[in-house]
Amino acid sequence: MKQEITEKKIIAMTNQVFEESFEIETERLQPKMNIFEDLGLDSLDIVDLIVAIQQKFDVKIRNDERVRDIRTLEDVYRFIIILKKEVALSETKREQQKV
Amino acid sequence: MKRVVISGVGAVSAMGNNVPSLVRGIEDGRSAVHYMEGWNQYTGLRSLVGAPAELINEKTIPRKNRRSMGRMSIFAVQAAEQALSDSGIEPEELTSGRVGCIIGSTMGSAKSLNETFEIMLPQKDLTQLSSMKFFQCVSHTAAMNVSQYLGITGCVLATSAACASALQAVSTGYDLIRLGKQDAVLCGGAEELHPTVTGSFDVLFATSSSYNDKPHKTPRPFDRDRDGLVCGEGSGILVIEEYERALKRNAKIYAEITGYHTCGSGVHVSRPDKKSIASCLRQALASANVSSNEVDYINAHATATIQGDKEEASAIKEVLGDLTPVSSLKGYIGHTLGASGALELIVSLAMMEKGIIYPTLNLDNISSDCQGINHVIEPVAKNISIMVKNCFAFGGINSVLVCKKL
Repeated sequence: MKQEITEKKIIAMTNQVFEESFEIETERLQPKMNIFEDLGLDSLDIVDLIVAIQQKFDVKIRNDERVRDIRTLEDVYRFIIILKKEVALSETKREQQKV
Repeated sequence: MKRVVISGVGAVSAMGNNVPSLVRGIEDGRSAVHYMEGWNQYTGLRSLVGAPAELINEKTIPRKNRRSMGRMSIFAVQAAEQALSDSGIEPEELTSGRVGCIIGSTMGSAKSLNETFEIMLPQKDLTQLSSMKFFQCVSHTAAMNVSQYLGITGCVLATSAACASALQAVSTGYDLIRLGKQDAVLCGGAEELHPTVTGSFDVLFATSSSYNDKPHKTPRPFDRDRDGLVCGEGSGILVIEEYERALKRNAKIYAEITGYHTCGSGVHVSRPDKKSIASCLRQALASANVSSNEVDYINAHATATIQGDKEEASAIKEVLGDLTPVSSLKGYIGHTLGASGALELIVSLAMMEKGIIYPTLNLDNISSDCQGINHVIEPVAKNISIMVKNCFAFGGINSVLVCKKL
C-alpha cells in the first residue's frame, strides 16, 4: 500500500505549483488568498492549474466538477486533501477485495 | 497613393539581441554558425550546424503576456519593442486603430509544437496539455503576441510563406499605408531554430552537411563548394509609416519603400525557377519606376543551396546585368527563414546609411554556375541610393522589395 501523503506535504506541493507555474512569490501564498482576485489567475490559468495538479499529485481532475467551486488557495489545498483521501480509500477497498 | 518610409528597426539574431550587434558582427566579418550539441541523437539528420540566438531578459515580459509566447514570439516582441522605441512612435498611438502589426513566419513555435506532440502522442492523451500550447503553435503566433503585448488595435496579419514571409509582411504593410488604411505598421518576421526545422530541409538534401566540423565555413552562398543552407533564428521588425506623418514627427527615415512584387512560380514546389524570379525582379523594378541600371545594390536571397543560388544568379544577370553589386548575408547569420527578409533588409538599410556594402561570407571561389554578376567579396564603399531585397521560398513563392534613400 502506498504511503499516505501528509496534509503539510500537500500544502507545500500545491504552493510549489503556484510558484513554478504562475511565478507567484512564496510570501503571497496565504490560504485565504483568492486565486483570481488576489493571485491574478484567469480561466486559461485554471486549465494549466488542473494539468499541474494532475502531474504533481498523480490524480485525474479534468472532469471533476468540484474544480468549479475553488476560489481560495485554501480551497485548492482542501480539494487535494479530499481527493487524496478518496484515492487512498478506493485503493484500500481494492486491496481488501483481493484478500 | 501615399508614400511609405521605414522609420524604425529592431532585431534579435545570432549576432546579438539588437540591431547594432547584428550590424557590427557582419561588419567584423564574423560567422554566428555553430555546431549544435545534441543534434547528433537524431538518426538521419545530416546537418548538425545552426545559428542560434540567445533568449535573454524574457522575464521582463509579464507572465500573463509571456505564457502564450514560444521562443520565436519572445524574439518578435523584443525586436518590436526596439523598433517602436527607435521610431519614436508613442505607445498610446498603438491603440488608435491606425497602427497595424504584420509579422510572418514559416509556422508557429517549433519547440512548442514538438512539446505538444511529445505530451500528446505516446499515450494518445490530451489531458496533460497546457492551455497555452495552441497560442504558441499557431501560424500567427508572433503577430498575435506582439499585437496583444503592445496593445495594437489596427490590422493584425500574419504572412506565412516560409522564407518570403517577412518580405511579404513588409510589402503588405506598404500596401495598407499606400491605400490609406493604416498610418503605420510594425512588420517583419520571426523564426526559431530546432532540429525538426533543419530536419525538414535535411530530408530534401537542401542543408549543409559537409562542414559539421568547421561550422564557420558554411553556408557558402554562390561558392563553388557550397552544399546547402544552415538554419538560423531570430526576429527582424521594421516600423513603416506614411511619409508625411514621419516628416511631421521629425522621425529618422531609413529609406522609402518605392515598390515590390510577389508571385508564384507555378512550376514546382521546391525547384527554384529562374524565369519566375526574373519576372518578379522586373515587376518589382517596374512598380518602383526604376530601371535596372539605377539599382546600386542587390541583397540576394542566396541560401547556398546548389539550385537556388544558380537560379537567382542567373535571374539577376538577366534582369540587372553584371554591374550591380550583389551579396548575401546568410554566411553570417544562417538562413533565418521567415525572419530573413526583415533581418537582411535591416542590415541592408545599415549599408545604405553607412555607404558600404558587406560582402558574401565564405564566398572564396565563385561557382561557375553563379558567374556573370557582380559578386561583392570584400567590403566595398558605395553610395547606395536604390537597393533591391530578394526573398524566395519553397512553394515557388518569390518576393522582391525596392527601397530608395531619401
